[in-house]
Amino acid sequence: MSCSFTEKISSLIDGELSPTEAREVERHLLTCSECELLRADFLNLRNQLTKFETSLQPQVQNRALKKILAGPRRVPAHGLQWNFSTPTLAFATLVIVAAIIGLLAYQNSNRRESNQVAVVQIPSPMPLASVEPPRQPEAKESPEPQPSPNKGNEEKPRPTKRPIVREPKPGEQFAAIPEQVRSADAETMTAMHFETSERLLLAFKNVRLDERGAAEEVGYERKRAKQLVLQNMLLKREADATGDVQISSLLENLEPILIDIANLPDRPDQNTVRAIRERVERKNIVGLLRVNSTALARALD
Amino acid sequence: MASEDEEFTMLFQDFYPSLCRFLECLLGGRAPLAQDLAQESFLQLHRTAWGTLPVGEARFWLYRVARNMAINEFRKSNTRYRLFDRVVEVMSPRARNPEQEYETQERNTLVLEMLQTLPEDQRAALLLREQEQLSYREIGQVLNISESKVKVDIFRARASLRERWSKLSGLSRVARMGN
Repeated sequence: MSCSFTEKISSLIDGELSPTEAREVERHLLTCSECELLRADFLNLRNQLTKFETSLQPQVQNRALKKILAGPRRVPAHGLQWNFSTPTLAFATLVIVAAIIGLLAYQNSNRRESNQVAVVQIPSPMPLASVEPPRQPEAKESPEPQPSPNKGNEEKPRPTKRPIVREPKPGEQFAAIPEQVRSADAETMTAMHFETSERLLLAFKNVRLDERGAAEEVGYERKRAKQLVLQNMLLKREADATGDVQISSLLENLEPILIDIANLPDRPDQNTVRAIRERVERKNIVGLLRVNSTALARALD
Repeated sequence: MASEDEEFTMLFQDFYPSLCRFLECLLGGRAPLAQDLAQESFLQLHRTAWGTLPVGEARFWLYRVARNMAINEFRKSNTRYRLFDRVVEVMSPRARNPEQEYETQERNTLVLEMLQTLPEDQRAALLLREQEQLSYREIGQVLNISESKVKVDIFRARASLRERWSKLSGLSRVARMGN
C-alpha cells in the first residue's frame, strides 16, 4: 500500500469525506489500480462482517426481555434528588446509617476511655498502615480536647462498660468492632455498598458545570461520600480478613475517590471535578462496581 | 409507565440482536456470555438510565456499557467460560439445513478468528462501523475517543484484516472476480 490515498479510501467507503475530497479520491481511483483493488477488498471485508450471524435464539431474546421488564425499575437521581421509592434502596440507606451510628457510638466510648484527642477530618486512605487513631466526622468532634492521650487510659481502664470488645491497641479501633456489627452479612453489606457507591459516582458524573467553570452544588455527593468512606474502610478490613483479594482491591481503588469527593469545597472548580471524573472513568470504577455488585447479589440469591 | 415499557420493548427488539452480535464478535464468539452481557446492559438501562437519556442516546449508552463489560471480561480469567460456551453451542438446536449451516459456521469462524488478531479498540471501532453503521462521530462517543483516532483505527483494522484475509482465503482474487 504505497499510494498516499490508501487511508482516504477507507474514509470514502464510510462516506466520511467532504464532497470535494470524495470527488478527488474518485478521480484518483480511475487511474490507480492499487487503490481500486484496495476499495474492492475493503468492501468485501465489509460484506463478510455484515454477514456474520449471531447464534441468538428467539426464545432466548424473549426470555431476556421478560426478565428485564419483570425486574424492579429505579428512577435515577436527577441532580441532587435522592429517591427512596424502592425497598432495597431504603434498606441499604438504613443499614449504612445504622452502621455509621454504631461506629460513631463505639468510637465515642472508645475515645472517652483512651482520652485521645479527636481529629476533625475524613479517615486517611490507608487506615491499616496508619498509627494514628481513626479520625472523626465533624458532627462528633469533642469540644474539649484532652491533653494526655495515653497515660490515663492505662491507669484507669473501664472493662465493665464494654464486655464484648477486647482492649483495642492504638490505631486498631476499626479492627475491634463488636462482633454484632461485623456479623451483619458482609457480602450483603458489600453488595449494597457497591450499589450505593455506583449511584453516587453516576450522580457525580451528572453534576452540572456552569458557564463560569464551577460545579453546581455538590453538597449531596460530598455528604454521601463522607458516609461511604467509613463504610468502605470497614468492608475493606472485612475483605482483607477473609482474603477476598478482588473485593479488597476494588474497595482500595474506590476509597481515594470517595475521599476526594468528600473533601470537595462548596463550589469546586471545573478542573477538580473533571479530574475526579477522569480517574473514575480511567479505572472503570463504575463498571467494576456494577459487575461486582451483580455478582455478589447473584451469589447471595 | 405502560408506554415507557412499550418504547423500551421496541428498543430492545431493535437492538438486542445487534448488541449480541457486536459482543459476540468482540468476545471471540462466546455467544452465551455475549447474550448475558447484552441482557445485563439492557437491564442496567431499564433500571437506572431509561427515561433520563435524551432521545437517540440510549443506543450509544448501551454499546458503551456493553463494551465496558466486555473489557472487564477480557481481564478476568476466561477459561471457565470457554468449556461452557462450547457445550452450549453443541447443544443448541439448529433450524436450517446442514449445508447452509456449515457455510455460515465456516464464515463465522473465519470472521471471528480474523477479528481476534486485532487490538480490542480497533476491533470495537471496526465492528461499530461495519455492523452497526455508526458514523465516526458516534463511534467516538461510544468509545470515548476522538474522531481522528476512530478514522485511523478503522483504517488500520481494515488494512490488517485485508492482509491476513488475502493470505487465508484469497480475498483479493474473489473480489476481483466479483467485480
